[in-house]
Amino acid sequence: MNRVFFLWTRSNRHFNGNAVLGLCALLFCSSFGLLAQSNATSLNANASFSVRVTHLLGFEDTKSNCNGTLSIQGDALQFQQAGRPGAQVNIASIRDVSVGAEGKQIGGLPMKLGKTAAPYGAGRVVSLFAHKDYDTLTVEYVDSDGGIHGAIFQLNKGQGEPLRNELVARGVSPSPFEGSATKQSVAEAAHENK
Amino acid sequence: MKTSKQNVWTVCVAAIVMIMFASQGQLFGQTAAVKSGETSGSETQWCVKVERVDSANFDLASSFQVAIYENLLEELNKTRQFKQVFRDGDLKATETSNLLVLKTTVVKYTPGSETRRAVTTISGATKLKVRSELLTPDGKVVFERAVNGDVRFFGSNLRATHNLARNIAKALKKSSWSAPEQPSSLDAGQL
Repeated sequence: MNRVFFLWTRSNRHFNGNAVLGLCALLFCSSFGLLAQSNATSLNANASFSVRVTHLLGFEDTKSNCNGTLSIQGDALQFQQAGRPGAQVNIASIRDVSVGAEGKQIGGLPMKLGKTAAPYGAGRVVSLFAHKDYDTLTVEYVDSDGGIHGAIFQLNKGQGEPLRNELVARGVSPSPFEGSATKQSVAEAAHENK
Repeated sequence: MKTSKQNVWTVCVAAIVMIMFASQGQLFGQTAAVKSGETSGSETQWCVKVERVDSANFDLASSFQVAIYENLLEELNKTRQFKQVFRDGDLKATETSNLLVLKTTVVKYTPGSETRRAVTTISGATKLKVRSELLTPDGKVVFERAVNGDVRFFGSNLRATHNLARNIAKALKKSSWSAPEQPSSLDAGQL
C-alpha cells in the first residue's frame, strides 16, 4: 500500500510539475500574442505604408522621372527621394485616385541603340522579350487655392491596387471611370504580352 | 608729305571705326526695341485658365487625361505667351479680368503599344487628336483648332500627351486669333 501511495504521490508531483510548466508556456505564448496584437494596432494607427515608385509627372515640388518612396504618413501622402526633403499632400485634399496598367521597353537608350545596331533584325526579337509591365497610380488633388493638380507614379506590377485601397480606406474616393480605363489598360498590357 | 599721308590714313581708319561703332549701336538699339516690343506688348496681358481634359466618350485612362492637363500647363508656361497660367478650379483666376479659358476635348484616341512599335516599327502608334478651344469668360470662341499628338517610333505611350501639349502651345503661339474686347489698358489683342 505504502509503495502504491509513494508511486501515486511521485507521479502526481511529476504531473503537477508538467502542468505548471504547460501553464507557464501557455501564459507566455498568450502574452506574446497580446503583445503582437497591440503592436499591430499601433502600427495601423500610425499608418506606415510605403512603396518604391518612379514619379512620372505632376507631384508638388518634385522633378519628373525620378525614383523615390511613396508613403502614407499619418494624414499625408509623401514622396521622398533619397537624401532630399519629402514633398507631401494632405490625403483630405486628394479627390480622385486610380490605377492603370502599362507596358514599356526596358534598358533605356543604350538598349535602344544596341537593338538598332543589331544585324538581321535581331533587335526586334530582343524587343519582343525586353519589356516590363507596371502599374500607374494617378492621383488628383486640390491645392490651397482650389487649383486641380494631377500626379502620376509608376509602380511595380501589383503594387498599385494595395496603395489605392489604402488611400480609399482613408476616405479618398476612387475614380468613377477607373473600371473601364483599367480594363482598357489591362487589355493593352495583355496585347503587349502576346 | 609722309606725315600728311599718315594723318589722312589715321583719320580714315578713325572714321571707319566710328561708323562701325555707330552702326553696331544702331543694330543693338533695334534688337533691344524688338525684344522689348515682344515682351512688353499685349501678349503678356492675357491670362489663361486650363480646364481639365474632356475625354468625351472615349475610354481614355485617367493617367492620360492628367498627363495632357499637366503637360499643357507646363508648355503654356514655357511659351510665356500669357501673363499667368491658372489651373482648373483656381480661385485666383476668378479675380482676374483678362481671363481666357482653354478647353480640350478628345476627338480621337488610338491606344498604342511600345513593344509593338519596337518590334514592327510600322504599327503600335499611340494617336491622340483633340479639339482645342480658347474662350472668353462669356463663352465666345476666339481660337479653335484640332491638334494631334502621336508617338510613332520611340518613347512611352504617355509621350503622346507631351507631344500633344507642345503642339497645342505651338498652335496657340503661331495663330493670330482676334482677341475679345479688351480693357482700356490694352492697345492690341493679337497674339
